[in-house]
Amino acid sequence: MKELIKNITEIYSPSGREDEVRNFIISQIKDYVDDYKIDKIGNLIAFKKGRSGKTILFDAHMDEIGLVITHITDKGFYKVEAVGGVDPQTLIGCRVQFKNRTGVLGVEGETMEDLKNNSKNLSFENLFLDLGFSCRTQAEEFAPIGTFGTYTACFADLGDRIVSKAMDDRVACAVLIESIRNMKDSLNNIIYAFTVQEEVGLVGSSVAGFNYDIDMAVAVDVTAAGDTPKALKRISMELGKGPCIKIKDAASVSDISVVNKLKQAAQANMIPFQFEVLLFGGTNAASYQRTKSGIPSGTISITTRYVHSPNEMVSMDDVKNTVKLVAALSNTEI
Amino acid sequence: MQKYLKELVEISGISGKEEKVMQFIKKNIQDKVDSVSVDNVGNLIAFKKGNDSSKKIMFAAHMDEVGLMVTKIYDDGTLGVAQVGGVDPRVLKAQRLKINDEIVAILNSTPIHLDHNLTAVTGYDSIKAYAGFKNKDEAKLKVKIGDMVTFDVKYYENNEYAVCKAFDDRCGCSAMMDLIDFFDSESKKPFYDTYFAFVVQEETGLRGSGVAGFSIQPDVAVILEGTTAGDNPELEKTSWATHLGDGAVLTFMHSGVVLDKRIFEYLVETSKKNNIKHQFKMRTAGGTDAARLTRTVDGIPCAVISTPCRYIHSANSIINKNDYNSVVELIKIISVEGRILK
Repeated sequence: MKELIKNITEIYSPSGREDEVRNFIISQIKDYVDDYKIDKIGNLIAFKKGRSGKTILFDAHMDEIGLVITHITDKGFYKVEAVGGVDPQTLIGCRVQFKNRTGVLGVEGETMEDLKNNSKNLSFENLFLDLGFSCRTQAEEFAPIGTFGTYTACFADLGDRIVSKAMDDRVACAVLIESIRNMKDSLNNIIYAFTVQEEVGLVGSSVAGFNYDIDMAVAVDVTAAGDTPKALKRISMELGKGPCIKIKDAASVSDISVVNKLKQAAQANMIPFQFEVLLFGGTNAASYQRTKSGIPSGTISITTRYVHSPNEMVSMDDVKNTVKLVAALSNTEI
Repeated sequence: MQKYLKELVEISGISGKEEKVMQFIKKNIQDKVDSVSVDNVGNLIAFKKGNDSSKKIMFAAHMDEVGLMVTKIYDDGTLGVAQVGGVDPRVLKAQRLKINDEIVAILNSTPIHLDHNLTAVTGYDSIKAYAGFKNKDEAKLKVKIGDMVTFDVKYYENNEYAVCKAFDDRCGCSAMMDLIDFFDSESKKPFYDTYFAFVVQEETGLRGSGVAGFSIQPDVAVILEGTTAGDNPELEKTSWATHLGDGAVLTFMHSGVVLDKRIFEYLVETSKKNNIKHQFKMRTAGGTDAARLTRTVDGIPCAVISTPCRYIHSANSIINKNDYNSVVELIKIISVEGRILK
């Protein structure tokens, strides 16, 4: 499964530019699902029939955070802005890519004092992108305004721990792919929604469930870890302690029936799990709760260190147990 | 072209009080389209049948403008106000306003010669509107809580530029009216069935467009806007959002949504092919009804085409009329050739 996670996190598909990752996912699942379709705004929706007459939707978003070019200078540098929640701090010293060409970011500063202040208060106002061009014409021809980019891929296998860009949320896409391929049959009908544009505001998931009668929706996403030195002390999620059953974050409170079913499924199948209360953030569960007349919704999270950076770290144990939990819920009476 | 722009921008209509704008538009389009209706929240929706009814295009522009609302009548007859939509208090000082489109008022705070703190921003807490009332009782005869307050300005234009309030988004309303006139005067039909949605309450949170999209359920929506220019000469070019005179603005991404790639690329290609002057929106902050419509029903792919407005959300914003014309030229082609849905 590490190979799958490496492959899927190395794809460059920021919000609104999910074609490549969607094609990859289709290639991985098409022989294992009963049907699939791409909806009007690019969500990939796959179906697996069950016996119970009830339907569970699992969601994982395909997009990743990124950058977009907004200006080009006479000397062939670029100004960029964030696609989703990119902290400018993460951009200094790392590599980015635009159309497979490597780029680096620099800080403006015309006096020593400016440079010091700008470096302390990094923002897209005082950063520029360098793709190695020397004039506007070259730069514009290669990457006109509106060209999207991402962090450069750099997967690392540290044993149980693995590191990559875009674990958020490709690790969950990998979890759904793996559970689709492992599951012989399912008690419930399952809809797998691989959604677009989560990072710019839960766009895909706002419409992915609209055409179906869904009894329960579960977003699979990453969550912050509280287990690093002097980490946020009020959050309790830890790597390696199993998938998190989310109770609450800033965007939604998980439906208690979903929480209970997940807990029951985990316990019945001896899958370790932890409960999660995240003080900030949100997942696609928030938009399924608001779809049509409301779908009971919750989230399974994979604890992730350094979320929204080029180096997001997860535990393979957690990932594998998340696959098990998805399968277990699929086969739990709801 | 621009037949209605002057009148449209001079009408007062903050979010929630778009009635007069709506009536003006309705009066001028109802005989030129197949049907007109007003929905439950006040959106005006006009329908024009196309040559091909297999698909639906929706054009949308919002009728509301940013402004103020009376929140309090003080004992001395002055009025407290709150913003409706994004009105920075710094653009208000010493402005001449109209309450309910009739009573003239001015807006002030501490007299400038007594205001020694030059860096502090005077907020809504200390801003008061003066409309010439002696006391609370006299004021209450003419004004009540919730009354609309708008900028009292007249439209001015020269060969190239126009100045007034509310180009955001009467430019979009006007462009749709010009498009309707185009079909009417040439006795032409759009390629696909076409809906023109003049929507309410965009400025207070994209409220009208979602329900209009829900009832129309189009295959694609084209949002026409007045957008930020931010191209003041004192700013560096790398911080401009758009530039007056550089043509119709095409948006690839803004707050809350990345616009549909296929449609964005179609707009760029169509503009190039037809020599329509165009530019890209060069900042991603700020949003339009596209953010709401993309999330409506089972997803509506959207495009945003705008006229740049310098000093947007103020009493006096400036547009270049050629940019506006480029927007109208582009939407004519879009609706006639129908390729947006192929």
